[in-house]
Amino acid sequence: METDKNNDQVLPEERLFSGVLLLNAKVVGLTLGVIFGLGIFVATNWLVIKGGERVGPHLILLSQYFIGYKVTFWGSLIGAAYGFALGTICGALMGWIYNKIAIFRQ
Amino acid sequence: MDDNPVVIIGAGPAGLAAGYELISRNICPVILERAGIVGGIARTESYRDFFFDIGGHRFFTKNEEINRLWEELLGDDFIRVNRLSRIFYRGKYFNYPLRPANALFNLGPVESLLIFVSYCRARLSPSPEENSFEEWIINRFGERLYRTFFKTYTEKVWGIPCSEIRADWAAQRIKGLSLLVAVSNALFGGQQSKSLIEQFFYPKFGPGMMWESFMDRIVAGNGEVRLNSEVSSIHHDTTMITAVEYSDGNTTGKLAPGHCVSSLPISRLVKLFTPQPPAEILSAANQLSYRAFIIVVLIIDISSLFPDQWLYVHSPKVKVGRIQNFKNWSSFMVPDQSKTSIGMEYFCNENDQTWNMQDNELVETATREMVELGLGEKTQVIDSYVVRQSHAYPVYDSEYKKNLQVIRNYLENFSNLQTIGRSGMHRYNNMDHSMQTGILAAKNCSGENHDLWAVNEEKDYLEEDRGVREVPAVPEKVLIGAFARMDKLAFASAVGITCGLLVLGATLWIISRGGDVLNSHLRLLAQYFIGYTVTVKGGFIAFGYSFFWGFLFAWLFAYLRNLFLAIYIYNIKRKAELLSLKDFFDNF
Repeated sequence: METDKNNDQVLPEERLFSGVLLLNAKVVGLTLGVIFGLGIFVATNWLVIKGGERVGPHLILLSQYFIGYKVTFWGSLIGAAYGFALGTICGALMGWIYNKIAIFRQ
Repeated sequence: MDDNPVVIIGAGPAGLAAGYELISRNICPVILERAGIVGGIARTESYRDFFFDIGGHRFFTKNEEINRLWEELLGDDFIRVNRLSRIFYRGKYFNYPLRPANALFNLGPVESLLIFVSYCRARLSPSPEENSFEEWIINRFGERLYRTFFKTYTEKVWGIPCSEIRADWAAQRIKGLSLLVAVSNALFGGQQSKSLIEQFFYPKFGPGMMWESFMDRIVAGNGEVRLNSEVSSIHHDTTMITAVEYSDGNTTGKLAPGHCVSSLPISRLVKLFTPQPPAEILSAANQLSYRAFIIVVLIIDISSLFPDQWLYVHSPKVKVGRIQNFKNWSSFMVPDQSKTSIGMEYFCNENDQTWNMQDNELVETATREMVELGLGEKTQVIDSYVVRQSHAYPVYDSEYKKNLQVIRNYLENFSNLQTIGRSGMHRYNNMDHSMQTGILAAKNCSGENHDLWAVNEEKDYLEEDRGVREVPAVPEKVLIGAFARMDKLAFASAVGITCGLLVLGATLWIISRGGDVLNSHLRLLAQYFIGYTVTVKGGFIAFGYSFFWGFLFAWLFAYLRNLFLAIYIYNIKRKAELLSLKDFFDNF
């Protein structure tokens, strides 16, 4: 994360309160990507470990979006990759939009 | 002895440190000390094998050089003490910095509530004027807390109303902590470990042990420490100190110094000059003042009185300002563990009414006040001893800076003269600062060029007890970045748009795949997004809904994030101010 450029004459204390947070879009994207990816990986494997007659009847609906995804261990890896990609795109987009608006408003 | 030795006036911490440094550089100094023992105002007196410290001197420093020196000199005789010092008020012990539970319990709910209300009032509506110490403290802590915990003690120490003490002096003494540093410390911890804040080192038999060890090393290195040798005049020409005359009561001596290093009170130093300095210099010297104090040692026939090393006495009903309990500094300070020796400390001016009281009157007063405070019985006092200490604390009045500068400018004319130590520089130096000035002065004598007046002025020299370091753990830029305000509207819009696009994309994706689109599970979204269908139009409806809810939650998130961060920073700042006030008390 980074802040906008400030005047060096301003006291650090004042800068602490007056600075506007700018997001590092790449970092936000990667963070969200990892969270999404891990979330799908864990959720899938949780159901796999639980087992039962029908494993993950609802989670399998993700396959409508993530082609090749299944509620299996290998499916969890595929889902994690999709989740990571989607999260990264969403996070980066969010960070980019936020920065554009924040800078524009200044 | 060298024909033109380095003459050090005063064998206090500064003078002895200077002497020791010179010895290590193979220069043999002559140290002249008026008293019969070394240590100056940090000496240890003794009476019937009871040892007592004049004012209580904790050994703590951030300066590694000084730390090594102390450890080298005393080794195993340098003990670590768990610090306990509290405020004694209305018969109860208050932790300092104040802890809410302890204060609430001791003050009672009504008084605590009144203090809280007064604090809130001061914070919400501070006085626009901050000219005096009184206004400065009230603006930060509220009037009631000021009257309870600050007013009486400060007035006892300085002998003048708080309304007459300048606010800039308070600000200087309390040395406002950088908010960035406070935040950094709160997040990443201080440079000094907590243990060192709550502990200090102390020589087994009091600070005098340290100074005697210094003296022994100096003498062993062929230096001289002449006790009972009072300087009577200092001869000079326009650029040099040419001779130092002294007397031991019976005989007089005269030294022609190559260098002269003085820890005499700077006002007294110029008065010893022969020929006399110009009238304006003498006038400035006369206007510099010092607080003195008297310590009345009471030996009490009881094994334990209270667990603190010292107590601050805030009660306006008694004159005593602070009470030392010497055996709690080190058990070796008393010869018989069934006895306790306490030092009742009275702050005064030289030659005022308190200073001029007879010893028996002082003992009577101290005993009576001890009984009044509920600490002991008169019959338990089995012996007593009185010590008077002049020039204990340099007074920072409204004119001192100007007067000090006048004298400094004059003394700068003498190329072989340096002033060191607390009194020598009329500066609130602690032991380590004083010693550092001595060491630097010694280095200057051997050709180096150090600015002694920079000691205890630059950030690196500040004391530790605010519990914080003065340099942030992480770069300011990073801190500012982490604590910057989040733009609520921008964040809310970004999240709203992203959420909207996600749902719109999901809908379009399902439609593009064909099949029984309308019965897709995605239609369940209609339970929340009324009017939603898995169609292109429905996708845009879902975009609108998602944008709205995403916007709302993200705005709330950003608002709360900014709010809690502000509260967090505010609390850190308050805590840092309280900790800095601990240092404020510790130095008197």
